[in-house]
Amino acid sequence: MQKTVNKAPLFHLTKRPVLKARETWAIRIASFFVAVIIGCLVFLLNGKNPFAAYGNIISGSLGKVTSLRQTIRIAVPLLGTALAITPCFKMKFWNIGAEGQITAGAIGATFFALTFPDLPAPVLLLLMGAASVIFGAIWAFFPAFFKAKWGTNETLFTLMMNYIVIGIVKWLQGGPWEGKPGSQIIPNFSKNAILPKVFGIHCGWIIVLLLTGFIFIYMNYTKHGYEIAVVGDSPNTARYAGMNVAKITIRTMLLSGAICGLVGFMVASGAHQTLYHSVADGVGFTAITVAWLAQLNPFVMIIISFLLAILDKGSGALQTNMGVPTSVSDIITGVFLFCMLACEFFINYQIIFNRKEKKEEVKA
Amino acid sequence: MKRLLIALLAVIMLVSVCACTKDPGAKDGVLKIGMVCIGDENDQGYTYNFIRATETAKKALEDKGIKIEWVIKYNLIEGEPVAVANEELAEAGCAIVFNNSYGQEPAMLQVAGDYPDVQFVGMTNEGSWKDDLDNTHNAFNRIHEGRYVAGVVAGMKLQQLIDAGTIKPEEAVIGYVGAYSFAEVISGFTAYYLGAKSVCPTVTMKVSFVGSWSDATLEGQAAQTLIDKGCKLISQHSDNTTPATTAAQNNVFHTGYNADMMSAAPTASIISTRIDWTNYFVYAISAVAEGKNFDADYSHGMKEGEVVMTTLNTDIAAPGTQEKMDEVIAKIKDGSLEVFDTSKFTVNGETVTSQLAIDKTGDFVPDEGEAISGGAFHESQVPGLMSAPYFALRIDGIEWLNEAY
Repeated sequence: MQKTVNKAPLFHLTKRPVLKARETWAIRIASFFVAVIIGCLVFLLNGKNPFAAYGNIISGSLGKVTSLRQTIRIAVPLLGTALAITPCFKMKFWNIGAEGQITAGAIGATFFALTFPDLPAPVLLLLMGAASVIFGAIWAFFPAFFKAKWGTNETLFTLMMNYIVIGIVKWLQGGPWEGKPGSQIIPNFSKNAILPKVFGIHCGWIIVLLLTGFIFIYMNYTKHGYEIAVVGDSPNTARYAGMNVAKITIRTMLLSGAICGLVGFMVASGAHQTLYHSVADGVGFTAITVAWLAQLNPFVMIIISFLLAILDKGSGALQTNMGVPTSVSDIITGVFLFCMLACEFFINYQIIFNRKEKKEEVKA
Repeated sequence: MKRLLIALLAVIMLVSVCACTKDPGAKDGVLKIGMVCIGDENDQGYTYNFIRATETAKKALEDKGIKIEWVIKYNLIEGEPVAVANEELAEAGCAIVFNNSYGQEPAMLQVAGDYPDVQFVGMTNEGSWKDDLDNTHNAFNRIHEGRYVAGVVAGMKLQQLIDAGTIKPEEAVIGYVGAYSFAEVISGFTAYYLGAKSVCPTVTMKVSFVGSWSDATLEGQAAQTLIDKGCKLISQHSDNTTPATTAAQNNVFHTGYNADMMSAAPTASIISTRIDWTNYFVYAISAVAEGKNFDADYSHGMKEGEVVMTTLNTDIAAPGTQEKMDEVIAKIKDGSLEVFDTSKFTVNGETVTSQLAIDKTGDFVPDEGEAISGGAFHESQVPGLMSAPYFALRIDGIEWLNEAY
């Protein structure tokens, strides 16, 4: 560690030696409490009692069976999408097109829901699920193919694909799938096209839990998972080892798109029971936060997506019970996300104050 | 220090957990009433008009000895967020949950069945006569009457411009900014056009659809397009004041919807028409407070004072407008004037003699309920059927600029 004593800035940053698990968790918990305190200030500034406000967030999201169900309903697509983008992100392929892939999947599912509304439920649901997987994968294929063949920028490409598919849904809403003429609303699905409920929540929650296990095994115990990790760390190493990087890129992206598509089926059939242009409702972007916070660990994603769902649902309760505007709840959510992401910084780096010529740890 | 902090926070968390065990909603003697809004009062138009009525209704109910508390959720357009909001309001103990926009009804219906003791109202909606639920209601007041009167005001202004030689008779063109091309909007602009035509025989109309109930930018752009195509007066079926301000910038005139838009465009906006929801809120809420049922389909008009005109902008209105308006309103109230008098309009050059109102089979083609009788199309009043408008004829004299919506 080099230090210049004279004319040194007030502090500088250095990479920390690897911390013990206990210490990293201490930092994480501390940052959570910092978020709680900043949140208190926000509530106080708005003239609300912070204790009552936090109480409301918790009781509003977990207090009753129905609110717990809603919270889980919010968490399901978040978890599913976070899992979907995990292989891509591990490969350092920045798929920020989950939003579009979800929407594409929802289109596929909706096609069968509207065309064959009277098929028996199991057949229809299977068809819808299969269609959603294919549509999601197709939507993911284009950016993957262009990246593999011509090295296009996947971040921009996947992002642009979102707007295209949302435009397609708007066209479907006003055109071929419109219900009442002029209304721009696609009719609700028939009963057969709606995902059955298990414990009062559409059975998508079972699907995403199964997916969690699948992604964990896929990433850690399969040849594919290993290849993804190698490509992510160094495509040249992968090539040297004889891996077909283009093929791995496309294959991984197809998987990612397919799972996103499946999430699209779950939200269209389970939650909205119809298709409309914001069927993905920002989940594709929030899931990126979930994946990063969980450091691509599928099981941690369950916790993170549930936490975010609590904040989301809780902010709805805040508005209902305490008249807190949604914008304030959004600020609170932002504060929590910021603190949770910032703590990763303090886990990896430490601040060294130069003035005192002495290392001083700074709390997160 | 750090430990102290953690200890302190642990206490805070404990207190907050305790705080949440008491139900925040239950207060004795105060009836909780929920409402899900498509926008918020900042639109100064559609949702603002509802919020105003919630306040006046609260006062009116207090005078009757019924205490209520409104729980209002904003900016919910369609889909699951609307369903969750309805569920939350029902869970919070609301006796009635009102939804104020068309797109919200399917989501509301997903939830309504789970809470049979809570009444769900889709305002400006149409599902309750055909869903199988006892606790769902629709209300849609007869705004076409108000639009007809606003059309009369607009027609008088155009006729004044013609008489003064400012414009030629064939240049009397009204531009209408519409949200979507379905019955509610078609019924409104047709009534408006017929009102204008009753006092300005050469008037024609162009309609531009925005494809959104509330998009300030698009609404302003649509108004600009209409003005560029030669429209001399703008009206609207959309939620914002941008059509009014666009009209003012281009020195053309305007009549509004939902709210008095004179303050936004004093040199352009002559008058507005709006639904006063106060009576309906009072009616529905007092019925629930007294344990009675209330109508599943509700549609009142000018006669009952539930469709009203805002103050006339006498600085720019044509002379004699107020007198003419009073005369027309009186005739609407006593029933001697039919807004959709079939002798006053044609479709493809022919008089319409028969039109079904209601789609019962779900294919979106009307198959029941003859709406035309006694020489008039009876809007929103086929007995026992829906309160939402069903007039969707494309009459001569009105040009649709875009059909996509």
